[in-house]
Amino acid sequence: MDVILFRYGQPARFLLQFATIIPLYSSYSLLITSMLHLLGVNLPDQKVVSVALTYFYGIGPLTARKICSRLSFHKECKLSELTEGQLNQLSGVLSEMTIENDLKRQVAANVQHLRQIGTYVGKRHAMGLPVHGQRTRGNSVTAKKLNGKMLRKYSTVADTAFTRQAMGMFQSPLSKHQN
Amino acid sequence: MISATKFTQPASKAARHFAGIRLLSSSPIVAAEKNANSSRPKADRTQSMAFTKKEAGSKRTRSGTSTSVNLSAANPAYYTDPPKPKLDLLSKDTATASRLNTFMQIDDGFLQNTGKGRYPGHLAADFKLFGKPALLYRQVTQTLVDQMAQNAETAPKRATVLDGQNGAGKSAELLKLATVAATSGHIVIYALSTLPWVNSSRPYGPGYKSDLFVQHELVNELLRSVVAVSRDALNKVPLGRSVTLGKKTLESEKTLADLIDLGLQTPSLAHDALDQLLDIARTQTVVPVFIGLDEVNTLWCQTSYRDQEDNILPANRFRLARSFLPFFEGQGLAKGWVVGATSYAEVRFMPKDLKTKLNPPPAIPIANPDLVRDPGVGELSFDVLKVERLSSAEAWGLMQFYQKANIVTTPVTEGLVAKKWVYANGNPRQMFAGVTTYF
Repeated sequence: MDVILFRYGQPARFLLQFATIIPLYSSYSLLITSMLHLLGVNLPDQKVVSVALTYFYGIGPLTARKICSRLSFHKECKLSELTEGQLNQLSGVLSEMTIENDLKRQVAANVQHLRQIGTYVGKRHAMGLPVHGQRTRGNSVTAKKLNGKMLRKYSTVADTAFTRQAMGMFQSPLSKHQN
Repeated sequence: MISATKFTQPASKAARHFAGIRLLSSSPIVAAEKNANSSRPKADRTQSMAFTKKEAGSKRTRSGTSTSVNLSAANPAYYTDPPKPKLDLLSKDTATASRLNTFMQIDDGFLQNTGKGRYPGHLAADFKLFGKPALLYRQVTQTLVDQMAQNAETAPKRATVLDGQNGAGKSAELLKLATVAATSGHIVIYALSTLPWVNSSRPYGPGYKSDLFVQHELVNELLRSVVAVSRDALNKVPLGRSVTLGKKTLESEKTLADLIDLGLQTPSLAHDALDQLLDIARTQTVVPVFIGLDEVNTLWCQTSYRDQEDNILPANRFRLARSFLPFFEGQGLAKGWVVGATSYAEVRFMPKDLKTKLNPPPAIPIANPDLVRDPGVGELSFDVLKVERLSSAEAWGLMQFYQKANIVTTPVTEGLVAKKWVYANGNPRQMFAGVTTYF
């Protein structure tokens, strides 16, 4: 079985020559479940196309429905029923969109930009606090967990105390009292 | 009366009981039972005798396809073979007034050719309980059969649509009519359900150089059913002109069966073949044509399909629906009949304006010019035949058959029939539900 490696970050503009069917063993039975490997994502073969497309980061139910409408896939069409030509068309449409790591990088870049130009939103991301005006006296657990994560993961600037001071973007809540 | 002088224990068991002395041990009784049961085979409690484990697989394949009871090992005291009442097969010869209010069997071959194991409406549950596909021959059935015999000579100008309440028997009447038409030598174009045409469950695609959408798979299935049911009638009708489908051309001497066979060979030509079939069949006078569409309201509905811009498609944007719409909008046949049956089961595929036209509001005595101009209340382009509730004689025939089929186990009396008939308001589906509530 040939395996095609899709390089993350580069839009796959070439047509899908053949999909990779990966046999998997379910942990609850000895049945083999086949998966379709498409643009770096394993899609379950038995799922309806409009549902399977939501497995991509950046595609929700509405976008998936629009993709199916564009390619004339009916609502109950499953991935296993698609022909090679239809899979090629699907791959072509998906490659035109910003999804998966492209989208993650774009979001991270947007947040990084906001931080670099010194906006309030950028500072909130940097401090790992809610951005949209939520209360921080209580709750804000999700924001503290997620905000700024992308900055820490994808930042091109060395994340040291010196750079932070030099940038002047990070101020701890206690710093102004100390000064 | 117990003697108060001296207490002595009576000898026999009965005497002791009479004396008011309670037995302290039941061992004699238990021993007696064991002796009586020694002749019966002992039950094997290590494995189930009747119930078997369901086969592994997806829920969809497991449920509804096989019973969990292993009938070969079932206790005959509880699982008996269902009775199979002998019924006459519904055909052109048996569809007479003498068979009114009796059940008649529908040809299973016809159902397999048209439905591939599916049945129209909610008849699947009925046929399963009956053990065979069988329907009641009603007065309205006789009316329709007589009308069809008349139309076989001179076709009416307008199509007919059967309408009525849920469970009134519209789909059943259309099925009976199609069965009689098939045995009468008609060319039968019968679709037992047009829901797959509009509910986005089957493949579709944009037409070539056309703003219409095509559904090759559905048309292919329809053509297969037509040729399977009416091959003899199709072979009698010559094309009358040369017909070109794709790269092949059929001479005028060829028949409609050859046309359909050519369309079946290439799925992309199915629509062209259907259009040519309908065009030639409606103008020829050799063999009468019967076109029957169940759930015909879907021809005017907003479908669940969407175009490339994600806009909802109306049914008339599909070539398949477009092929049949003219028959319900004034285009008639030379010989034969076009009949449709509405369905209110899927409300989203019943257009509101059509529903209002089929069930117009009560007439207002004071003339209201605004109401007259209301587009929702207008004339229909087809005739409507209301399928009414069962008559008392029909209800009696229904219950008699239910008793023969062991669906009703109590004796069928006039009181019982009247009770079920009144409770159901004469609705056949509600009567069936009334006798099978505890199944």
